[in-house]
Amino acid sequence: MAVASLPHGDALAHDDGPDQLYVETRELRLQGFLLFLVSDVVLFASFIFAYLYLRNTGQSWPPAGISRLDVAFASVNSMVLFGSGCTMHYALENWKHNNFTKYAVFMVATIVLGVMFLGGQGYEYTTLMLKDHVTWSGSGIFGASFFTLTGMHGFHVAVGVIYLTTLLLQSLHGKYTKDKYFGLTAGTLYWHFVDVIWVVLFSIFYLI
Amino acid sequence: MHIDWVLVERTVAAVGSVIVFVVAAVALKNDWKTPGIENQVFKVMLGLLAIGGVIAFLAGIDVLGRFAGAA
Amino acid sequence: MAAVETVHAGGIADHVHPEPQGFVRKYIFSIDHKIIGIQYMITGFVFLVLAGLLAEVIRVQLMHANGGFVSADTYNEVYSIHGSAMVWLVVIPLATGAFGNFVFPLQIGARDVAFPWLNMISFWLFPPAGLLLFGSFLLGAPAAGWTEYPPMSLQGAPGTSMWCAAIFLVGISSTMTGLNFLVTLLKMRAPGMTFTRMPLFCWAQFATAPMSMIATTALAAALAALFMERQFGVPFFDPTKGGSPILWQHMFWFYSHPAVYIMILPVFGIISEIFPTFARKPIFGYKMIAFSSVSIALLSFMVWAHHMFTSGMAPALQLPFMVLTMLIAIPTGIKIFSWVATLWEGKIRYTTAMLFAIGFIATFTFGGITGVFLSAVPFDLHAHGTYFIVAHLHYVLVGGSLMGILAGVYYWYPKMTGRLMNDKLGHWTFWLFFIGFNGTFLPMHMLGLLGMPRRVATYDPQFQHWNQIESIFSFVMTFALLLFFANMLWSIRHGKKAGSNPWGARTLEWQIPSPPHYYNFKHIPTVFSTPYDFAEPLPYAGLEDELNDTPGPMPAAVH
Repeated sequence: MAVASLPHGDALAHDDGPDQLYVETRELRLQGFLLFLVSDVVLFASFIFAYLYLRNTGQSWPPAGISRLDVAFASVNSMVLFGSGCTMHYALENWKHNNFTKYAVFMVATIVLGVMFLGGQGYEYTTLMLKDHVTWSGSGIFGASFFTLTGMHGFHVAVGVIYLTTLLLQSLHGKYTKDKYFGLTAGTLYWHFVDVIWVVLFSIFYLI
Repeated sequence: MHIDWVLVERTVAAVGSVIVFVVAAVALKNDWKTPGIENQVFKVMLGLLAIGGVIAFLAGIDVLGRFAGAA
Repeated sequence: MAAVETVHAGGIADHVHPEPQGFVRKYIFSIDHKIIGIQYMITGFVFLVLAGLLAEVIRVQLMHANGGFVSADTYNEVYSIHGSAMVWLVVIPLATGAFGNFVFPLQIGARDVAFPWLNMISFWLFPPAGLLLFGSFLLGAPAAGWTEYPPMSLQGAPGTSMWCAAIFLVGISSTMTGLNFLVTLLKMRAPGMTFTRMPLFCWAQFATAPMSMIATTALAAALAALFMERQFGVPFFDPTKGGSPILWQHMFWFYSHPAVYIMILPVFGIISEIFPTFARKPIFGYKMIAFSSVSIALLSFMVWAHHMFTSGMAPALQLPFMVLTMLIAIPTGIKIFSWVATLWEGKIRYTTAMLFAIGFIATFTFGGITGVFLSAVPFDLHAHGTYFIVAHLHYVLVGGSLMGILAGVYYWYPKMTGRLMNDKLGHWTFWLFFIGFNGTFLPMHMLGLLGMPRRVATYDPQFQHWNQIESIFSFVMTFALLLFFANMLWSIRHGKKAGSNPWGARTLEWQIPSPPHYYNFKHIPTVFSTPYDFAEPLPYAGLEDELNDTPGPMPAAVH
């Protein structure tokens, strides 16, 4: 039949059996979600550009009167967040291999590590504001760029914690199955995105 | 008794980062041949996570983060 | 061909939502891309009227060298809102939201966009944004032009923060629309609709969508920073606190230069549909037109700093930005040559849509050429901040984008409403608009070169003569637009019945009834070739039942 040899548009023409609607919908949602992450990357990239641009306008860094950030504490906190990326990876792996208990354990671990990171960031903010008197609006471009970027990231982590908790509860109620678990994939993508952004932020704020 | 908190922090960071690096690298190796667009993204993310582990380790042992007006 | 249906049984292509019931779900909070497209169009035209009135305030003020119609402060607010509204509330929503939504899902043979709910949300962010923008007059509107450069925008009236919020909202809407369109174009094409068989309007949207997605997010960051600085005193742009006003210019133009192409690329697509239809000839250089859209989109991200030649940038950076900017003239020139070659020896029918499209070529080419002038650093240093810039940008935005949009309305109106717009009135509209437009903006080139600065409420009396002529012609242009709106409104009830394909066009949207059913196609068609070969039979299969009384597809069970 001539139709069979047609060059097809993507995806729509594959005959994958009864659940094709799910397969195709999943493709759409996956691409949509990835593109959403791309635009989120651009949002961070713009602020990172702003930070680097301001930093290179010719003043010393950190500006006079502001001490350097606490690298030792931040590296512990970074390690916590990176660790949560690893546990998230294994949560999804275990889901794929139908190992529900391990999945739940890793998922809880991820959420706990995420909350720990937020706690660490809260501690760091409090120290900066109360002890060093570095604030968002009162410390020149240092305070502006540091608190805006890390705050934006912290907001993403907080959203991620809520997101993952929701996913965990949903999976406990049987919303996802061994074959249909796009929500978990999206959650993992989002969480990895949050981790990886922190690799960049940690490097540019604390290490250079 | 006096505890040097900075030393504790640095030790925890260094040890933890090594674990992160190893876990991420092993996960990356295991996943190396998985197909599909989301898995390609996961691989990039795991790679960056491993790099993050290296960076946090170097920061923990005070190799990185000593530049510019270090206090 | 029964096999055509079995090819994709059960997939998204065959997935039909239940027919929306009730006025609210059908026409207000609709998830149907066609309704959303029309909603964008109506809202965009309402804002066009408002922003056009502001333009007339400007022209009346400039009738006399000493002004006198409004105060200088009000004048600043008026041109700032005029520019912002025309860019973000009129041209971008009309070019992407209105035509994109209505036309391209039909052209690729889809039942809807990939994320219909997201589409509805994108639209409903847009009217509130417009209200915020025009509402800023109540608090004291922004007065630093549509570009809102700090430090002036930092000192501006409270309405400047409303401006930030308004543009931020349209930005989110535009980002979501871009994402939606991109996924739709990548994944929802009918069987056989490969990329090189897509109609050129789809190619134009395909090049635009990533720009609306990526560049607009960068603008959102800039707006958020400006908003934070104004409301919470967080220093980004204030040089007295270590910030940099130039940073705003970088962030703003990194968005706003691609935005220029967000405004023109979809219109290129409209023109590429109209020319082959009314010249009865295959489009010349299909692939060249398609790929030049994409290369314009790519180049547009690398040229933003040509807006900043006078802002004190390093001379070493000026040359690359100048050369890259000039490079854009190549893909644009390829398009213009291809369009002219399409008309060459064609059997041209001078419908109103065709007249507007031909007028578009003339004015857009003119505006494009002055653009190449301005990309040259030495010339730009001379012309920057003068009426030459105003003339250039209106030639590409009004003579380019808006005329293309009007052409598109005349072309697709029968598909939207089932009736034709009055052609005789349309001819009058075109000629009045074309003459009024050129009379308004052509003398501005000269005034600019003579040194008349833009954004001033009063000016040197030596320029008064030409300014009065411009104002008179601008009334002609406004009158033409009023005729256009009258034609649109009158034709909804009294226009000639259009039938499914009044123009004899060959793209998919013309093969189904006008207006289309909510499910678009009874059977998703299969595509065998590009739509432009007028000598060949239509390259589609599976459309036999579209125009008869066969019942439509059954909606999927609700789940």
